[in-house]
Amino acid sequence: MSSLILHQLYAGVAPWLALSLLLLGRNPFPSRPRMLGALLLAFFVLWIPVVGWPLFAWCRVLEINPSFTLTGLLCVALWQRLSSKSVFRSEDWTAAWVVGASATLILYPMGLGLTSIDPCTWGWGATLPISTAVVASGLLIAGNRFGMILLLPLLGSLFHLQESANFWDALMDPLYGATSLGVVSYLLWRRLR
Amino acid sequence: MALPLRWLLIGMAWLMAGALYLCRPGIPRSGDFTMAVNAASPGLGSPNFQKTIVNPGQGLPMVHVASLATMSGDMEAAVWYGGSAECAPDVKIYFSESEHGSGWSTPRVILDRQKVEADLGRPVQALGNALLLANPDGTLRLFFVTIAMGRWSGSQLNTSRSHDGGLTWSRAERLTLSPFFNFSELVRNRAVSLLSGGWCVPIYQEFLGKFPELLWLKENQGNLEYGKSRIAGGCSSFQPSLVPIDARRALVFLRDYTDNRKIFLSRSDDGGRIWTKPTQTQLPNPDSGISGLKLNNGKLLIAYNDSPLCRDNLALALSDDQGASWEKLVALENESGSTFAYPFLSRSSDGSIDLAYTRKGKEIALARFNDTWIEETWASLEKLPGGSNHQ
Repeated sequence: MSSLILHQLYAGVAPWLALSLLLLGRNPFPSRPRMLGALLLAFFVLWIPVVGWPLFAWCRVLEINPSFTLTGLLCVALWQRLSSKSVFRSEDWTAAWVVGASATLILYPMGLGLTSIDPCTWGWGATLPISTAVVASGLLIAGNRFGMILLLPLLGSLFHLQESANFWDALMDPLYGATSLGVVSYLLWRRLR
Repeated sequence: MALPLRWLLIGMAWLMAGALYLCRPGIPRSGDFTMAVNAASPGLGSPNFQKTIVNPGQGLPMVHVASLATMSGDMEAAVWYGGSAECAPDVKIYFSESEHGSGWSTPRVILDRQKVEADLGRPVQALGNALLLANPDGTLRLFFVTIAMGRWSGSQLNTSRSHDGGLTWSRAERLTLSPFFNFSELVRNRAVSLLSGGWCVPIYQEFLGKFPELLWLKENQGNLEYGKSRIAGGCSSFQPSLVPIDARRALVFLRDYTDNRKIFLSRSDDGGRIWTKPTQTQLPNPDSGISGLKLNNGKLLIAYNDSPLCRDNLALALSDDQGASWEKLVALENESGSTFAYPFLSRSSDGSIDLAYTRKGKEIALARFNDTWIEETWASLEKLPGGSNHQ
């Protein structure tokens, strides 16, 4: 399989998962037909042509490298909705948002030119994968399940599943970053109240 | 989570991190620069200056941003983009070649939006700046900008390769260089080859900030390995023109995005790893492209718009103290209401200096001159009462 097709297939997973979740709605116990319908509808919606290109290709214009972390979290969220079982506990989700918000604050302001230091360059070397292994180990030792999700960027990066060769793109993306910042801000605001 | 499972996962994490450590040595973000003056014959002889049009009669409403490369033998190649307007969907990338001394071939399209879209597997709004590199193995490497949405702030960098002197081009590939939706990395100025066999390409970002960066490249059995480093952050100067002084020392000239309206300059003494904070020179800059080159005698040459306000002229200036002070050498173009922009200086295979630039928005002009012509023009300036314009 060519790398282009592999990258396209991977880049389609996160939009499909997100759209499936959206189509499942808020009902905590969806029926089986509804589950199957949501998954299939999400798949076909992504193939609807818009100005000559499927919707999925338009997603790739904006987000060509959904992070493995985001894809993993969407998988967990979808599995929880489909099985009606809690895979992640509250502290697992909190860890996901705290790690995402911390990485966002490190990566994006400086990456977009705030200082002469560019954290983006760390992603081409071995520093970032090792740092990720350290954080994942810490979380796993503490019994936090988000540690398992942090193995996905390492795995995906090893198999070159993304168009990008930068490990930051395996670990982070703007959608995961923005969601993490929003949730952490809300959690802090709630605690301060 | 059971304890054995935890330790198994931790073991897996470290195994994968170890594998990534071994297979991701990273591209060195500094290097020894090769010197163009060493690679070419001296470019001396009798004074010579000639001006030609690379694309006579092309007839496009807009052509812009030319770059040059010396191919194997005496062949020179030029690429630029053209269409109905900047960022328009009909913009294509054109290629022309010339055997040294003869005219330029009829421009032909090497990339259009449809081919790039098919190669990348996603819609592209428009094509933009292109930069051509000639590898020592005879292959050509093209870097070009595509716009995903909006204008230049929504652009990305791509690459393609030719094994037959520019006749056919490989499938275009996207480079991922920016963390935020890969916005917005652009290429414009001449790349510098490295003694290690790689390239250092000046690039820049103009999304939230506008700042200069360097792209470090290495061709590895047909695969392009790359990484980048930053010259400066912020939102004040960008579009670097990289000029090596020797193998380890280099400087970059920077386009100004502030109200100072001056060309900025930054220096490195360690192969491009660490750069000084950009400082302004005496040379004006109307937020326009510039290009620099080191001459055989050690002096620095710069092509620039000699005005803080507009691009209605194009001039050359010289520095014999590594950029500390400048003297205007000559105005190559000067016509009120016209535009002369985006100069691209390079050394051709016979040692002469080529300056390509956009002339009146519709032509790619090429001024070819040698070091002796510069020396003579410089000497005649010194004879004039009052000397020069920029001290």
